[in-house]
Order: sequence, then structure tokens, then C-alpha cells
Amino acid sequence: MAENSTTGFSKTLLTGVMVILALLVLFGLQPSALAGELPTRQKVPDITDTSRPYGPGDLSDMWRGIRMGEPSSVTRPGKDGDVLIQSEGGQWQARRGALIIKYGSMVLIAIIAVIALYFMLFGRIRIKGGRSGLVIPRFTLIQRVVHWSVALLIVMLSLSGLILLVGRDSLIPVMGREGFSIVASAAMEGHNLFGPLLIPALIAMFVTFVRGNGYRLIDIKWLFKGGGFLGGHASSYKYNFGEKTWFWWAMVLGLVVCASGVAMLFPEITPGRRFLQFANLAHAAAAIGIIAFAIGHIYLGTIGMEGALEGMTKGTVDKNWAKEHHDLWHDEHVQAATTDTAGAEVAAAAHGDVLPEGAGE
Amino acid sequence: MTMQQFIEGPLWTFAATVFLVGVAWRIVAIMMIGKPKDLTVAKSSSMAGAAKSIALHSVPHGGNLSRTIYHVISGYAFHLGLFALLFLAAPHVTFISERIVTVPWPAMPRWAFIIAAEAAFAGLILLYLRRLTDPIMRQLSDWDDHVGTWLTFLAMLTGCLALQESHIGLRLFHMVTVQVWMIYFPFSRLMHAFTFAMARKHTGATYGRRGFTP
Amino acid sequence: MTDVPASDAPAIDVQAAVDKFNALTGSHIASYLDACVHCGQCAQVCHFHEVTKDPRRTPAVKLKPITKVYNRHKAPFSGLRKAFGLAPELTADDLREWEELIFDSCTMCGRCTVVCPMAIDIASVVAISRQAFAAAGLGPADLMQAAETSRDKGSPLGVTTDVLEDRIEWLEDEHEVEIALDKPEADILLLVSSIELMKYPDSIVAMAKLLNHAGANWTLSTKGYESTNFGFLSGKGDIAKIMITRITEAAEAVGAKTVVVPECGHAFGVLRWAGANILGRPLPYEVTHITEYLAGLKRAGKLAFKPMADAITYHDPCQISRRGGATEDARYLLDGFATGFTEMTPTGNYNWCCGGGGGVQAIGRAANVRHEVFRIKMKQVEETGAEAMVSACSNCRLTMDESKAALGWDKQLMSLVEILADHLLVAEK
Ligand code: HEM
Ligand code: HEM
Ligand code: HEM
Ligand code: HEM
Ligand code: SF4
Ligand code: SF4
Repeated sequence: MAENSTTGFSKTLLTGVMVILALLVLFGLQPSALAGELPTRQKVPDITDTSRPYGPGDLSDMWRGIRMGEPSSVTRPGKDGDVLIQSEGGQWQARRGALIIKYGSMVLIAIIAVIALYFMLFGRIRIKGGRSGLVIPRFTLIQRVVHWSVALLIVMLSLSGLILLVGRDSLIPVMGREGFSIVASAAMEGHNLFGPLLIPALIAMFVTFVRGNGYRLIDIKWLFKGGGFLGGHASSYKYNFGEKTWFWWAMVLGLVVCASGVAMLFPEITPGRRFLQFANLAHAAAAIGIIAFAIGHIYLGTIGMEGALEGMTKGTVDKNWAKEHHDLWHDEHVQAATTDTAGAEVAAAAHGDVLPEGAGE
Repeated sequence: MTMQQFIEGPLWTFAATVFLVGVAWRIVAIMMIGKPKDLTVAKSSSMAGAAKSIALHSVPHGGNLSRTIYHVISGYAFHLGLFALLFLAAPHVTFISERIVTVPWPAMPRWAFIIAAEAAFAGLILLYLRRLTDPIMRQLSDWDDHVGTWLTFLAMLTGCLALQESHIGLRLFHMVTVQVWMIYFPFSRLMHAFTFAMARKHTGATYGRRGFTP
Repeated sequence: MTDVPASDAPAIDVQAAVDKFNALTGSHIASYLDACVHCGQCAQVCHFHEVTKDPRRTPAVKLKPITKVYNRHKAPFSGLRKAFGLAPELTADDLREWEELIFDSCTMCGRCTVVCPMAIDIASVVAISRQAFAAAGLGPADLMQAAETSRDKGSPLGVTTDVLEDRIEWLEDEHEVEIALDKPEADILLLVSSIELMKYPDSIVAMAKLLNHAGANWTLSTKGYESTNFGFLSGKGDIAKIMITRITEAAEAVGAKTVVVPECGHAFGVLRWAGANILGRPLPYEVTHITEYLAGLKRAGKLAFKPMADAITYHDPCQISRRGGATEDARYLLDGFATGFTEMTPTGNYNWCCGGGGGVQAIGRAANVRHEVFRIKMKQVEETGAEAMVSACSNCRLTMDESKAALGWDKQLMSLVEILADHLLVAEK
């Protein structure tokens, strides 16, 4: 039962993730799709041309020019700073509202609903046969520090980012314009401050976690077995298919949010407004993608599954937990299982799951 | 009295008084415990040793840097960032020169501010995460370590959230967290900002007279 | 609480420990206890943590019992803390639990002070803590016994004046060297360590040869000959004082202006840097370590040595180098003489401890950890390529000899004074 429910959940989660991925591919990764079809530019008459037939005061062509994004003479030219009205801005605004905010909110609400429903129906995934009292070292001190740095930053960025994204629609009715302006100001400052820190943190996460997160043949089996849902046991080494996907998902979308975020923080280094608009939409879409998966990951890491969290806090996991969820890794590391929990924590801090010299063959 | 008047008036006065009197009291009380005179014959100057220790012990030495590199980097990032923010951030400079010392005080440019803030946060987060995960630091830590770190983090966070300086509410929120921090400070391990010099002075003096300051 | 049957458990006098802690907590100790930020960096350099990786062997953990007492009784705002119930009293269980840390797991080497950002001198806090533990009736039986034997027989290994006289006479005959004992008057009072007398007598012979050659007016005295101070190491202040009183009376009796401490680190550290304070008055003589004294003689041109090409390295006894201030004297003696000398890394003031200082050598149950600590030294020596490790402390040497035997190591351990005496340049008259 427990086994089936575990993997049943993974499958549901996976489906949701696929849907988001599809959404992203559809809208997210094509600049033109996000920024919308551009109005074809018409040749605008040169208003400085005195030979033209209009009299003084006939500025309709000038206004038409401005409306069409024709560069004007401004005190600080450069990039597209001399474009006084950029029509695509309206489309950006519309896409942000109609696509990102609308579908983004739906995806997040759906994921939360599915998880809540699952939790109500099946409850927490317990360790089969209870705890063994033996622990196996799993994550090094550095891995844990890196993981929690990323986790802390992503949680803070998600909260502040969501306030910026959906706050207007959801918070103003609750706290009023005045209240929201305070919260939004705080959220923006916080988001801008913590954003850049995510870059080194993600790089560190890549370096410390990439080992073991490469896809292998066994992952396809895992997938075909629906993570064990269709009966039988889905085997995995240190990380299962779902975890590996989370790792790469976070890395790839992390790259997108970091790159687009940097662009928005330092607009001077970007080609111009159209790019920024694209960056903003890509940022928001990728952010929704990360948040959606993160909700599932955080659920499983905390209340969703007994025995998972301690791997990331103390660095050690219960032997029975390992056998159930990472059987092949368990078999490789079973010789390190010990009742000396304090000793195992020290070993984990220094070497993670690397077996001491001379162990094994 | 409005909330704002209360926070900026009596509460501020109270927090500042507790902070100043508390810190002074704690330092004086430690000194008043006294210590017996050292009757051994000095080989070298204890004063020089003390001065050297206070000033130079912050510089990693003794060939152990590879063992303590994590603390050295994150510790320096946090503390240097924090000091820069405390004494050189524009709003603080305004505050200090308006209310405490009325001399012109240079504020740092915005880019320096951003670097300082990022360094301070990164450093504090790294130190604290290690405190939570390292068996050695877990063994040593007590509730005071956690409360002190959280209060400092909140003071920094609310400070940054108030950065637009366009909302009284956010400014007051920062002030309140800072005031709580100030009231907690003298009674806690945050006092290390002052006691570090006392500890180093004693070691420096004791070993200075032996001819080598560790 | 513990599984020790009540009848076997020694009575622990918690109040005596609390009183002792309070009496010994000066403003320097208070500053240390208030400054520790629980960063744990000290663990990274303590050899006991290095070889066990046991978080409890973090040096700062050794501050806990005294901190508890300090927070309740002497610390600023302790009244406030007590009122909030935040300053519990020290318990017998605390003391029992910490005994091993305070005695077996600290050689008072001072390495931790080097990396501590607050420069906290944990070694001196441990010394104080030992006094409180001893007052409560705790401490390893063998260490306590060594202190009591020193008091009752004159030396921790039971070398009474009779044994001393016999041994010296035998050494004089055996080595054809004059060893002055109980000269009525002398400029210099030489001390010995009973470890040398019983295990490394050659080093006494060596000191005699060198001092004689330099024409020094020196003597040993049956009134006060033992240099080691197990009273200090075991936390028994009264015995510490007795040992220093004996030396002082002997020096006064022969009119010595200088007392030379032999190859023993703690003996030097205690007499030179704590002696006057333990005695309660300035010592009426100058205290110098044999390496300092010989360096002075060499500088004055009274000693010269034939070059020695053996591949050697030098182990700095913590109490002579880092905590004694005499790091350079051994280097000066080796300079120009030991042509095959290479330094270890780290060395000098930053050396790794032998693992047996602070009386840990005398604690039988700590033997296995000591052997593990010696592996650090073995690795250091092997990296230099040296075939022999020279030291200027017979306690280090004994510790390392035992570990060497236990681990079957093939390098040599030597004494600095012995190789100097062996290579003394005797000018043709
Ligand atoms: C997982 C991490 C992140 C999440 C979940 C996230 C989320 C968001 C969201 C939802 C928005 C609102 C978009 C909108 O209102 O249209 C936003 C805006 C923004 N983000 Fe991020 N973001 C993340 C990382 C970053 C990073 C790494 C940076 C910078 C390096 C960054 C910089 C920005 C900037 C500059 C904005 C513009 C909003 C403003 O300042 O008002 N973000 N982010
Ligand atoms: C705050 C909430 C979070 C909690 C409670 C949490 C919990 C956990 C736990 C318990 C594990 C260990 C799983 C195992 O032993 O196999 C884990 C692994 C991992 N977590 Fe988190 N996590 C959180 C946030 C994040 C975030 C925001 C990221 C972003 C990238 C992340 C990335 C990872 C990675 C990469 C792993 C390694 C396993 C894998 O490759 O998927 N975690 N997490
Ligand atoms: C990243 C860190 C911090 C930032 C960005 C920051 C920023 C600010 C800002 C914007 C103000 C408002 C100034 C005004 O207009 O009145 C302020 C005030 C102040 N901050 Fe900070 N702060 C930070 C950290 C701290 C810390 C750690 C402390 C103290 C420990 C502190 C103490 C104060 C005080 C005392 C004021 C004066 C409040 C007032 O009267 O307005 N700040 N700070
Ligand atoms: C206003 C002044 C200061 C504040 C608010 C402050 C705050 C803090 C905090 C919160 C921590 C704990 C970090 C953790 O949880 O691990 C810490 C650690 C530390 N502080 Fe400070 N500090 C101040 C001044 C100083 C000064 C002047 C020194 C001087 C030398 C110093 C040296 C240290 C050291 C060495 C650590 C340990 C870092 C580690 O864990 O490796 N601090 N400080
Ligand atoms: S003095 Fe030496 S043995 Fe004692 S705690 Fe410090 S490093 Fe360890
Ligand atoms: S290094 Fe110093 S401040 Fe840090 S835990 Fe050790 S004794 Fe305390």
C-alpha cells in the first residue's frame, strides 16, 4: 500500500510536471511567442522634411511616428531610450496577465490541491517495517550547507516573487492598495537583494550534487514501472528518476531565472526593452516551473515522507528507509550501516556516502 | 502618541539606554572581577603582546588556514559586510550624523552597498547553516547562539526591505527589530563584538611576556 | 543515572568544585568564557579531535563546566539569569561526564589558541578546571597517584633521595663523568626529571658533561631535585606548591642564582611561568630551560660541536616553544652543528603536540588515543625524510617511544642534550 501510494504520488507529480514542461515549450521558450506578433512597421514620413506638404502645427505624422516606435531626439539617447512609446509593451503586459499569471496560478493551485488531496487520502509515507535503528551516512556537510542555501534562497525568492507577480490581483483585495504597496516595496527590495546570491549557490549545487544525478538505464525502468505504481519494485541508486529530474529541472530553469533576473537587475547590459520584456516573461514562467516542482519536493522532504528530512539535516538516513527508497544505493552502502548514530553523523559530515578506504572489495 | 512617535521616541531611548548601559556594565563587571598579579619575571613586553594580539590575531596564521577556511571566508564576508552596512550605508550615515555625531560622515556608493549587503547575507547564512549541520557546532551551540543570529538576520533583512525609504511602516519595522536586537545584545553572546578584545588582550599579555603571542 | 553501582562511585563534592571554580575565575577567565562564539574552529587543530573526530573533543567543550558555574555565580547579570531560571547549578553528573575531557583529552598544548578567533587560552582554563575536579574528588587514579607519590617520596616515579644518590653514583661510575650532588655552594641548581633518572639516564650524563665542559659551577640537590610538577598537572594545588617550595629551598640552600630545568616541557612551563604565582612570591632565582642555558653557553663561546650529518628533525615540546618562549634556542643549538636537520611542517610555535603532555602520559586509559596522536607525528617526520626525531623533553620522548613501540615505527627518537654531548668538540689541550 505504502509503496504504491508513494509512487502513485510521484506519477501524479510527474504528470503535472510534464504539463508545465509542455506549457513552457509552447509559450516560454520562443521569444516571439512570448512577446507577441509585432506590428509591421510602416515607413514613417520624415517630419523634419520642410519640403513636405503639411503646414506648421500638423503633427499627426510625428505622433504617428512616436506611436510606431520611431526614435526621437532625447537628452539621454542610447539603446532604445529614445523610443517614447513602445507598443510591444502592451502586448507584454497582456501576455504577463493572460498567460503567466493566469496559467501560472492555475498550475500552482492545482499542484497544491493534488498534494493536499493525496495527503488527506493516504497520509504520510511511513518507513515500511519502522526504523531499523541503524543509520547510513548520506550527505556531506558541504552538500547540506549548499542544499539549504539554495533552499532558503529559493523559498525567499519564490515568496517575494509571487507577491510581485500575483500580489496585485490577490493581495490588494485583502490588504488594500496602501498595505500592498508596502509589502510590494519590501518584496521587491528583498527579491533584488537575494536574487544574485542564487547564482553562486546554484553553481555550488551543480558541483556538489551532479554526481549520481546522471540518468541511467534503470531510470527508464523506474519510469515504466511508474516508480513502482504498476506493481513490483522500482529500483534506484542514490537518486531516483524523480529526484534526478528535479535536479536538472532546477538547474536548467535556475539558469533561466538567473540570466533573466540579472538582465532585469542591470538593464544597461541588455539590448533594450524588448529583450527585457522577454526576460521578464521567461523569468516568471521559469519561476512558476521551479516553484511548482519545489512544492512537491518540499512536501516529500518534510511531511510527505517519514525519514527523508534527516538525510539533509543530520546527514544520515535510516537503513530501512534507504532499502525502501534507494535499494541499490542501500546495497552498495549497507556495510556502513551502524547503530552509532553520532559517529555516523561525523562520518557523513566529512565523507558523505563515500565508503571508508578498504571497505567493500 | 502614535506608533511612530512611540518607536522613534521612548522606545528608541529605552533601547539605546539598555544597549549602552548594558554593554558598559558588562565590560566593567568583567574587569572588576580582577585577577591576581603575575609574579613571574617577564621575558618580553606584555603590553606589546596584548596590542599585537588584539590587532593581529584576526589575521589567520600558524599554517592552519586550510582547516579553517570556511569560517574565515564566511566570517569575514559577514562581519565586514555588516560593518560596512552599519557605518557606511547612506541611511545609517544620515541617521548617525543627524542624531549621534554631527560630523560629516562619508556614505558608500550604491554599488558598494550592494556588495556589502550580499556579502553580509551570504556570510551569515553560511555560518548559520554550518551551525545547524556541523556536528561540532551543534555540540557547542545553545539557544543564545540561535536567538542572536536570528535577531541579527532580521535586523539586516528588515533594513534591506526598507531600502526604498518610501514607507514609514517598513522603516519602523526595521527600527523595532534593531531595538529588540539592541536590548538583547548586552545580555547575550552578541557581546563578543566587545569581549573579543578583552579575551585577546589577556592571552596577548600573558604570552607576550613569554616572548611569543599565539 | 550512570551504570556505575552507587557503592563503587566515589563521592563527588560538587560544592568544592563550584567553590574552586569561583575562586579561580579571574577577569581573564571571565573574558574567555564570555567571548567564546561557539564557532568550533578550535576543533580543527586539536590533536585529540583530529584523531578521534569526536565532536565532544572540541576544545571549547572543555569550557562548559566552568562556564556553567560562572554564569550562575560570577558573570555580569548572573542574578538576572538565575531569576529567569537560565543559570542552572553544576551537577555531579556534569563533573563525571567531563572528567575524561578535562584530564585525558587535553595536553594543555595551546594549539587551539592559535586558531581561536578570540585567542581563548583553553589550556589555562583546563588547568583551572583540573583543580576544581580534583577538589571534587575526581581525576584519573594514576595521575592523582603520581601527584601523591611526588609529595610523599619526592618524585612521581618514587625516586626518593636514596634512589637518587644510588642512581647518580652508578651513572658517575658507568660513564666516568662527575655529577655534582649536594655541593654546599653553587651558582646553578640543576634539576632532573624522574623520567630521565629511570628511563633516560644518558641525558643526565649528557647535561653533566656539557656543564662540566663549559666550566659551570653547578649541583644537584637532594633537597629539591624533581623538576616535574604533577601537583600542577593533577590539579592538586597544595602539592604543586610543595614541589616548588622544595626547589626554592634547595636553591636558597646552595645559594644558586639560576635554576636549570632539564629536558622536560611541563616542568619548565610550570616553574618558569607559574612557579612564582603558585609560591605566592617572586622566585629568588632565574629559571631557565637547559636548551636556553646551553644556547647561552654556545653564544658565549664556551661550547662548540663537531658537525653531525644524520638526517634529523626537531620536535618542539609545546611548553618550551609555543607556551615557553624558547623556540629559537633549540634552533640556535642545532644551527651549524646538525647539518642534516630539516624542519617539520608545521613546526616551532605551531607544532603538533606529542599527545602526552599535561600529565596525559601518566594516564593509562589514554594510551590508545596517544598512539593515534603519534600517527600525526609519524606522518610529519616521514614527510621530512628524516631518520630520527630529536626532542628536548623526556616526557614527549617517553610518550612517543611508547607509541613507536605500539605502532612498530622504524625511526629513531633522540634527545637534544644527548646528541650535543656526543658531539662536543673537546679542544686538544
Ligand atoms: C528561483 C528563483 C526565483 C524565483 C522563483 C523568482 C521569481 C520571480 C517572480 C515571480 C517575479 C515577478 C515577475 C513579474 O512580476 O512579472 C520576479 C521578478 C524579478 N526577479 Fe526573480 N525569481 C527568482 C530568481 C531571481 C534571480 C536569481 C534574480 C537576479 C539575479 C531575480 C531578479 C528578479 C528581478 C530583477 C525581477 C523584477 C521584479 C522587480 O524587481 O520588481 N530573480 N522573480
Ligand atoms: C525548503 C525546502 C526543502 C526541503 C525541506 C528539502 C528537502 C530535501 C531532502 C530531505 C532531500 C534528501 C532527499 C534524499 O535523501 O534523497 C533533498 C534533496 C535535494 N534537494 Fe531539497 N529540499 C528543499 C528545497 C530544495 C530546493 C529549493 C532545491 C532547489 C534546487 C532543492 C534541491 C535538492 C536537490 C538537488 C537534492 C538532491 C537530490 C536530487 O538530486 O534531487 N531542495 N531535499
Ligand atoms: C543590511 C542591513 C541593513 C540595511 C540595508 C539597513 C537600512 C536602513 C534604513 C533604510 C534605515 C532607515 C533610515 C531612515 O530613513 O530613518 C535604517 C535605519 C536604521 N538602521 Fe539599518 N539597515 C541595516 C542593518 C542594520 C543593522 C544590522 C542595524 C543595527 C544593528 C541597523 C540599525 C539602524 C538604525 C538604528 C536605524 C535608525 C532608524 C531610524 O531612525 O530611522 N541597521 N537602516
Ligand atoms: C555589531 C557587531 C557584531 C555582530 C552583530 C556580530 C554578530 C555575529 C553573529 C550573529 C555571529 C554568529 C554567526 C553564527 O551563527 O554562526 C557571529 C560570529 C562571530 N563573530 Fe561576530 N558580530 C559582531 C562583531 C564581531 C567582532 C567585532 C568580531 C571580532 C573579532 C566578531 C567575531 C566573530 C567571530 C569570530 C564569529 C564566529 C564566526 C564563525 O562561526 O566562524 N564579531 N557574529
Ligand atoms: S590545549 Fe591542546 S590538547 Fe588542549 S584542547 Fe587545546 S589543542 Fe587540544
Ligand atoms: S575557536 Fe575559540 S571562540 Fe571558537 S569555539 Fe573554540 S574556543 Fe570558542
